[in-house]
Amino acid sequence: MVVNPQQEELRKRVLTRSGRVDAGAPIRQTSLWRDAWYRYRANRAAVIAGGLFLLLVVYVVFGPILSPYDPYAVDFSQAYQPISWSHPLGTDQYGRDLFTRAALGGRISIGIGFAATIAIMGIGIVYGSISGFVGGRLDNGMMRFLDALYGLPYLPFAIIVTQLFQTVNFYVMVIALTIASWFTAARVVRGQIISLKENDYVRAARAVGARWYRILGRHLLPNTLGVLIVFVFLELPGVILGEAFLSFIGLGINPPKASWGSLAQDGRDVYLAHPTMILIPSVAIAWLILCAFFIADGLRDALDPRTRET
Amino acid sequence: MSREGKEPLLVIEGLKKHFPVRSGFLVERTVDWVKAVDGVDFAVEQGTTLGLVGESGSGKSTMGYCVLQLLRATAGSVRFDGQELTELKGEELRRMRREMQIVFQDPYSSLNPRMTVGDIVSEPLEVHGSGTRRSRRETVRVLLDVVGFDPSFTNRYPHEFSGGQRQRIGIARALALNPKLIVCDEPVSALDVSIQAQILNLLRDLQRDFGLTYLFIAHDLAVVRAMSDTIAVMNQGRIVEAGPAEQVYTSPQDEYTKALLSAVPVADPRRQRERKGERRRLRHALAEGF
Amino acid sequence: MPLLEVRDLRTYFATRDGDVKAVDGVSFSVERGRTLGIVGESGCGKSVTALSIMGLIPKPPARIVSGSIQFDGNELTQVREAELENLRGREIAMIFQDPMTSLNPTLTIGTQITETLRRHLAMSAREADRRAVELLEEVRIPRAKERLKDYPHRYSGGMRQRVMIAIALSCNPKLLIADEPTTALDVTVQAGVLDLLEDLREEHQMAMIVITHDMGVVAEAADDVVVMYAGQIVEQASSLELFDRPEHPYTEALLDALPSLEGEGGREARLASIPGRPPDLLDPPAACRFAPRCPFAGLNDYCSVEAPELRELRPSHWVRSAHPASERAAVAV
Repeated sequence: MVVNPQQEELRKRVLTRSGRVDAGAPIRQTSLWRDAWYRYRANRAAVIAGGLFLLLVVYVVFGPILSPYDPYAVDFSQAYQPISWSHPLGTDQYGRDLFTRAALGGRISIGIGFAATIAIMGIGIVYGSISGFVGGRLDNGMMRFLDALYGLPYLPFAIIVTQLFQTVNFYVMVIALTIASWFTAARVVRGQIISLKENDYVRAARAVGARWYRILGRHLLPNTLGVLIVFVFLELPGVILGEAFLSFIGLGINPPKASWGSLAQDGRDVYLAHPTMILIPSVAIAWLILCAFFIADGLRDALDPRTRET
Repeated sequence: MSREGKEPLLVIEGLKKHFPVRSGFLVERTVDWVKAVDGVDFAVEQGTTLGLVGESGSGKSTMGYCVLQLLRATAGSVRFDGQELTELKGEELRRMRREMQIVFQDPYSSLNPRMTVGDIVSEPLEVHGSGTRRSRRETVRVLLDVVGFDPSFTNRYPHEFSGGQRQRIGIARALALNPKLIVCDEPVSALDVSIQAQILNLLRDLQRDFGLTYLFIAHDLAVVRAMSDTIAVMNQGRIVEAGPAEQVYTSPQDEYTKALLSAVPVADPRRQRERKGERRRLRHALAEGF
Repeated sequence: MPLLEVRDLRTYFATRDGDVKAVDGVSFSVERGRTLGIVGESGCGKSVTALSIMGLIPKPPARIVSGSIQFDGNELTQVREAELENLRGREIAMIFQDPMTSLNPTLTIGTQITETLRRHLAMSAREADRRAVELLEEVRIPRAKERLKDYPHRYSGGMRQRVMIAIALSCNPKLLIADEPTTALDVTVQAGVLDLLEDLREEHQMAMIVITHDMGVVAEAADDVVVMYAGQIVEQASSLELFDRPEHPYTEALLDALPSLEGEGGREARLASIPGRPPDLLDPPAACRFAPRCPFAGLNDYCSVEAPELRELRPSHWVRSAHPASERAAVAV
């Protein structure tokens, strides 16, 4: 092979200089959240659902403020008004404007929904982290205990709790709905922790001598965030339905206090003649549940691209 | 600083790591053992590199974790810098960890995606409470520069970087506490050839500049040869051959070592044709079933 | 006439930020009975090339923008999906990198083999079973008859790859494409698989394309070699030619970056590393794509302005570079 020694020398010198060759600039310059937002946007159903959900939230927050009607004022002369411009959803048997009451009820129902979901996540995170992180016999024991708890019927327990207190208010409802619903959340968190534990960055932290609370708080839990956010939107429908059901059968929020369930209770006895009174809270609940599911779907795509179908 | 006449920095004797296989209905019983590491001895002199080579399942990575006490050995002794590591616990062990660090294989799972590069590299310093926040920041900058990284990127996240760049971050993290020993667990296996060369050159330079001792674990025999002073070949939890690198490569004694060497394809078609013949002969001799 | 002729193939992936030009003007041919090695680092487009030939690129984001793929007289880019399915498995077969995920874990090995046989050769169940046993024996799986009923998880990685090969060969294809067939395997297992592929190729008189990043595998398995970089072919020659007299600076650097198993080397040898990174395929430079990393690019400005064409430097040795080794030598000082 004919080789020009000078060229060879130049070539070798350039290519074999110190390993401290400049590593170069970052190859990608986006933030993880922006990427996630793009992926969310690609799911049209999720975007629409998100919009409708926000619309609902705006409605329940501002509806009662902007409404000229007193949601508790009784005026039999106005009873059972049909849908009109002055009463967009009509009135109930007490003459109260349903548009206002539905919004007010929405505050309570959605509020209970989110509060209970967050409480569920809280208990689930604590239980699941301990079980998943410690592992071994403790994990085994905690999971078997959880299996036993799964046998508990959720609704009767919720009912028992509501009956334990003098009055059923917001906080009682949250407790009732949380107490027998956190098991799946614990499972989910535990699963996440167990799979995240296998990552090399956790080993690296241990190799450096990081203590358990640092590993849990800095390395494990922050990386479960994506899954947890999706889970919130998947739990929400169940909790909302739970409240609605309890209130509907009279064991939850009772009239005249407004919640979607109590509105349904108002309409329970007269639904044949005046179906709108049950339809309104039902549609509201269905609206919220459908939105939550599509949002959860979009969030799942956004936060964990591997689950996407091609 | 020469350690001639002194004990090698790392001495492993009779190391075993057996994983129990449990099964049972309500009460789990140990029915069998997976003998990942089954009686290993070797020593590494300070400032040198021991290449630990073997195929998957040979136990080499487990070996690395046992040395660092990330896994507690079932039996045997790990003497590091005169101290018996298997007897250390709690705070003493934590302090010892400053002297020995690890670089991982997978650049994608070895960095926490939710931490910035700066945080990742300064974590060892934070864990051991070294210095103030400002001095730590400065140390991080120096470390990144040492590994060829522009120090202005401390606020970036790992996902913004390529595999080779991430490995550099991992190396910077390993250097943070100025350890004596670094276990390199397949540090270049996941990288392209041209990047691989960069990282290997970097590791060599760092060894020379900081007087590091490496336990270099890999399955690629050519890579190990480029890095190691001494070599140990592992197969099914045992070391089947060990010795100075060139000796093992040019005159292997053990059948498995010979089979391993002959199986590695060489970037030379003519030579490769010759080697194929040798290889077939060896394979019949070894009578391996796949 | 060559069995496979690819001319000016361009496969682009549509993304939010534009088209990623994964394969950008690739031409090569494969003769019957010979093995072509396509070598390059990750992201160079070698796998996408193979998938384009098979028509297996995911059609929504990816598309073949232009170019021709002539297989045994048929123009594959014009063929309908149904016909492509007939071709796949029957005339052209492909084996993939990861044997762990290439086999369906819920079907027995036997089913997965006979499935192909019955689809393409319309065999009866009994004939297909018999042929399946023959195939397993051909790929040197011991106790083939019993192992037909096993599920993939009972096979080791090397054995699964052999099963993949058996499935690929079951209909006697004219061309076998192996995409990183040994990358996920241990080196001793790898050697066995490569030996097997060579033996089978001779027996069945098949042409083969081996895609890999490992120059050693290329040296062992390929008759002719194509080196790819940033979606293009930068050098093309017979295997002996390429290793004896590499021309393109990238090929040279790649060979120099390899730690060597024999000969001079060991701790003292310095490994050549290539500074920088391959260009972004979203917007590849109009000039030579290797120029930013090339030690010779500074010698004159031609490379930074215009992209060099692939030219035949010597008979059957093509190079896309303004500074191939032999021309550098000629510029003596």
